[in-house]
Amino acid sequence: MRLVLAEDSTLLREGLTRLLADEDHEVLAAVGTADQLVEAVGRSRPDVVVTDVRMPPTHTDDGLRAALEIRRRWPDTGVLVLSQYVERRYAGRLLADRPEGVGYLLKDRVAQVDDFLDALDRVAAGGTALDPEVVRQVVAGSERQDPFGRLTPRERDVLHEMAQGHTNLAIAQRLHVSQSAVEKHVNAIFDKLDLAHTTGYSRRILAVLRYLGT
Amino acid sequence: MGEVVGERRTGGLWGRLRLPVGVAIGIATAAVELAFLAVAAAAFSVRVFAPAASRRVAALTGRYGGRLVRMEHRRLTRLLAAADLPAPNAVTTRRQVGYLAARLLPGTLGLLAYAVLGVGVVLAGIVLSAAVRGELTVLDTLSQIAVGAVLLLLNVQAVASIAALDIRLARRLLGPGSRAELTRRVHELTTSRAGVIAAVDAERQRIERDLHDGLQQRLVALGMLLGRARRARDADRTHALLTQAHEDVQRAIEELREVAWRVYPSALDGNDLGEVLAIVARGAAVPVRIRCDLPVRPDRQVETVLYFVACEALTNAAKHAAATLVTVDIGVQDGWIRMRVHDDGVGGAEPTGRGLSGLARRVAALDGRLLVTSPTGGPTTVLAELPCD
Repeated sequence: MRLVLAEDSTLLREGLTRLLADEDHEVLAAVGTADQLVEAVGRSRPDVVVTDVRMPPTHTDDGLRAALEIRRRWPDTGVLVLSQYVERRYAGRLLADRPEGVGYLLKDRVAQVDDFLDALDRVAAGGTALDPEVVRQVVAGSERQDPFGRLTPRERDVLHEMAQGHTNLAIAQRLHVSQSAVEKHVNAIFDKLDLAHTTGYSRRILAVLRYLGT
Repeated sequence: MGEVVGERRTGGLWGRLRLPVGVAIGIATAAVELAFLAVAAAAFSVRVFAPAASRRVAALTGRYGGRLVRMEHRRLTRLLAAADLPAPNAVTTRRQVGYLAARLLPGTLGLLAYAVLGVGVVLAGIVLSAAVRGELTVLDTLSQIAVGAVLLLLNVQAVASIAALDIRLARRLLGPGSRAELTRRVHELTTSRAGVIAAVDAERQRIERDLHDGLQQRLVALGMLLGRARRARDADRTHALLTQAHEDVQRAIEELREVAWRVYPSALDGNDLGEVLAIVARGAAVPVRIRCDLPVRPDRQVETVLYFVACEALTNAAKHAAATLVTVDIGVQDGWIRMRVHDDGVGGAEPTGRGLSGLARRVAALDGRLLVTSPTGGPTTVLAELPCD
C-alpha cells in the first residue's frame, strides 16, 4: 500500500519507514509536523496515513486534528492514529462520523510489529482497528452500564475482539473457537445491545461507539 | 524651615550645627506632643461618658498623631541624619501614641541640656567680664577656661547622646513589631512554598518529556527493529538487524542513566560538590574552569540546589550563548555560600525563562538569592547565594 507517515521523533520516523519498506509498502512521505502531514496527503493522495497525536507545532493533539481534517477532505484515505496514552475522547472523535478506514493505537503497539501491520491492513481495507487497551477500558467500563451488563463473560471476550475491528474468522482463530460459535455470540451481543435491526458492518463498532460517545 | 535648608546645605557650618538645631527643635516638638497627649487623654476620658463620640475621637487622634509622627520623621531624617528609618505611615494609632509619649524623654533631656548650656554661657560671660576688668589672676582665668571647656564638651556630648536616643526610639517604636515581622515572614514562606511546588511540577514535566520523547521512543524503535528481525526472511538480514538492536540497547541504557542523573545527581552521595561539578565539566561541550573553596561541606539540599544552578548555567552557556569558557567559583563569605557562574558568551539569558525562574524559586526556598546578569552581547553571570551556618 502507499503511505504517508507523520511522527516528530526522527528515530521512530526512520524506524517506521524502514519497517514498512521491509514489508514492501511504499512510503510516499515521512514528515515531522501536522501541517506538513496535511500538505503531503493533499499532494500524494496515499491509501493510508499513519500519524502521531502529540506533534508540533503545539505538541498537544495536532496530529489528531490533522487526521480529522484528512478524513473530512479525502474520505477514502485510511487513517491510523498513534497515541502516547489511551484517550477515550480521541478515539471517540475519530470514530464519530464513520468508523470505516480508521484506527487508533497506542504508540507502544508499534513495537509489536505483527499486530501493528495487521491493524494497518485492516484500516487500508476500510476496516477499523482499535487498540486492545482502548477496548479493554470500554468493555471494563461497560460492566457498570446497562445493557452491557447483561453480556456473559464469553460475549464480552467476543465484543473485545470485535471492537478492535477483527472479522468473525479472525475472532474464531484468536479465541480458539469455531466460526459458527462466534457468529452465535455476535448475534447475542447485537440482540442485547439493541443493534439487531441495524444493518451493515458498522454495527459491530456501534457497540463501542455507544460507550465512547457518552 | 530649617529642614528645607538642611537639604540643600550639607557641609560646613550648617553641617556642624544641624544636630544641635535638630535637638533644639526636638524640644519644641516634644512640647507640642505633650499638649497633644494631654488633649487626647482628656478626649478619651470624655469618651467614657459619650460613647457616640468615641470613633470620632479615635479618628482625630490617629490623624493628628500621624501628622506629629511624620513631622518627627522629617526632623530625624533631615536634621539628625537618621538613615533607613521605618516609614511613618505603617504604624497603628496605638503605637504612634506610644512613640509620642516616649518622645517626651529626649524632649525633657534636651531641655535640660540646653538649660545647663544657658547657665554655662551666663557663667562664662561673668568670668569673661571679670577677666576683662582684671579682677582675676591669670591662673584663675586659665582654670576657669579649663573647667568651662570640659563642661561644654560634656554638654555637646549630652546633646549628641540625646539625638542618638531620639533616633533609637523612632527605630524601635515605629519599626515593624514582632507581629508584623512574623506576618511578613509567613507571607514570604507562603510565596516560596508555592514557588517550590511550581518548580517541582515543572521539573516533573521535564522528566516526563525526557522519558516519553526520549527513552520511550528509543524502546519502541528497538521493538520495531526486533520485530523486523523476526520477520526477516534470510539469516544475514536477521543478523544485521540484531546487531543494530544490540547497539540501540546500549544507547537506551545510556539515555536512561542520563535521565536518572538529571532527576537527582546520585554522585552527590559520595563526592562533594566540587568533585561532582568536575564530572559534569568533563562532559560539557564548553571548557569549564571550577574553583570550589568550601572549608565545611554544606547541607545536602544546599549542594543539590547549587548543583542544579551550575548545570543549568552550563547548559545555557553551551546551548545558547556560544561561550568559549565558563568559570564556576564557589566560596564562603560572611555566613553565605556564594556560587558565581560566568561565561564569555553572547548573553541575553532570560531570568524569567522556565529553567532559571524554577531555579530562583528553589534557591528562594532555602532563603537564598539568585541573580542573573546577562546583557545582550554578553557576558552572562549567574550568582547564587545561600545562607550557611
